[in-house]
Amino acid sequence: MDSKNFPDTQNLFLPDFCDIRVIFIVLVMAELLAFILTISGSTSLMESFSDLALISLFTQWVSLSCLVVLCISRRYLCRLPQTAAAITAYLLILLVASLVSQAAWWSLNPELLPAEVADARYLQFMFRNLTITALVAAITLRYLYVQYQWRQQLQAETRARIQALQSRIRPHFLFNCMNTIASLTRQNPAQAEQAVEDLSDLFRISLGEASRRITLAEELEVCRQYLRIEGLRLNERLQTEWDTDKLPMDALIPALTIQPLLENAIYHGIEPLAEGGRILIRGEFNQGLCRISVENPVTEATIPGHQHGNQLAQDNVQQRLSAYHGNKGQLQIQMDEDNCRYCVTIQFPYVQVEDADFNR
Amino acid sequence: MRILIVDDEALARERLKSLLAELAVETELLEAANGLEALQICQQQPVQTLLLDIRMPAMDGIEVARHLGQTPHPPSIIFTTAYDQHALAAFENHAVDYLLKPVKLERLRQALEKASLLNQSQLHGLQDATQSTRRHLSAQQQGQMKLIPVREVRYLQADHKYVTAVSADTELLLEDSLKSLEKEFPDDFLRIHRNALVALRYVESVEKDSDGAGLIRLRGISQPLSVSRRHLAQVKRQLKQKP
Repeated sequence: MDSKNFPDTQNLFLPDFCDIRVIFIVLVMAELLAFILTISGSTSLMESFSDLALISLFTQWVSLSCLVVLCISRRYLCRLPQTAAAITAYLLILLVASLVSQAAWWSLNPELLPAEVADARYLQFMFRNLTITALVAAITLRYLYVQYQWRQQLQAETRARIQALQSRIRPHFLFNCMNTIASLTRQNPAQAEQAVEDLSDLFRISLGEASRRITLAEELEVCRQYLRIEGLRLNERLQTEWDTDKLPMDALIPALTIQPLLENAIYHGIEPLAEGGRILIRGEFNQGLCRISVENPVTEATIPGHQHGNQLAQDNVQQRLSAYHGNKGQLQIQMDEDNCRYCVTIQFPYVQVEDADFNR
Repeated sequence: MRILIVDDEALARERLKSLLAELAVETELLEAANGLEALQICQQQPVQTLLLDIRMPAMDGIEVARHLGQTPHPPSIIFTTAYDQHALAAFENHAVDYLLKPVKLERLRQALEKASLLNQSQLHGLQDATQSTRRHLSAQQQGQMKLIPVREVRYLQADHKYVTAVSADTELLLEDSLKSLEKEFPDDFLRIHRNALVALRYVESVEKDSDGAGLIRLRGISQPLSVSRRHLAQVKRQLKQKP
């Protein structure tokens, strides 16, 4: 809403006072304040009813006017540093309170009283209203500031979590790959060159910003590069089959979501087999959901120890998917022991580049 | 001098071959693509040194070293690995020679010069650290190494000094103790008696004979084995857990 046009309003600790929920909360709080003031000031029950009506009217007027003023001035407050914005907002609230008090004094007090008495009463009235406003406003602003800090901290923690979840390429793969390249430089420099290029692309993505999302086309290209490198190492032991034509290639996906699954498939599925095996990469798209599965063979011998190493990478992918898509981002594991196949499927909603920019 | 290069990756073997050629040592080079192949080659002809990768299909390097350690003339072993935290720590702890991939020429030369035999404590240390479980049991019979896949063993029976591993068609006299086997394969075997372990995956039924003593039947073994009174409750409990 408002924040879309002014992205830097996120940096202000004051909430958006035009927001209907904020307005509602402020009005309820104002009414509670009216109750407190009535109860603390009155002696008899009957008296307090008429007092409550008046005091409510007054507090609601003050709070509504404050809401309007803060709502309008928010875009200017945003440009100020945090402290200056707080002081300005505080002074604005006091100004509004004194203006409303002034108006209230004029409308409620007919000029019946003698001038001295009226002056004394006027000063007392203003002093009392402004003191109460000053205290309540200070408490409220302090509360909003603490809440803002808490929210900031929460966001920072979420960002840090995503950063920490960044997919890391296994050292095992890196060093084996280096060994392959060392061997190829003597025998087949052209292949060595290709391997270095593929490896560079893979690392560029792996070392990049963790929270970044790339298109499915980019992710699948990285997967192909990764498999090409592994193909050099494993030769004909590694066979792959792709069936991903149905997927929308402009869908966004957290960088390195599918590649770790392939890495697992090779590490746990292909490498332990002397004769090697086939990895199937399949994609489906329906009702706005992308489903991609990676299937690899397992040997009976590798099944017991299988789960441990897999777990880390899978948890990582799962957590990143749910960080972006809530419960629509999922990872499922199927084990077909009879046919010795192991299949991991990820699912995430189709979000295009433009949609994502709009939401940010 | 005969050197056997064991690695499942052809390019890794190629690299070692070209490095050895560069060192110009008088050697005969042999190659194997996994642990089982390596053992076969070692049986056919005497090999002085193994350049042995750790992570391999069919049989890993640590297991190869263990089986070779039981032969009368074990070769010296130099492990090669790209990256394996557990193995590297174990190599350091047990003073075992190893080469990191990509292997450097100078390091290879040094390793070949001081290549030595592994003793039993080094082998066991390596196995514990890398959590490598043997997939085969081995024994020497008439100067030949005989292997039996752990998955095919029906039961293990101790008799005086030796333990016999029994599968559907063979029997093998092992040098391992029943206790160490029980510790090494806790998920595969179940103790039914002071002198016997049975393979969980082959258990057919547990019953009682006319005298009330426990009997256990295994698939592929005609004679039931007796379960000692002391182990009967434990055996039943364990079998109940296994679906």
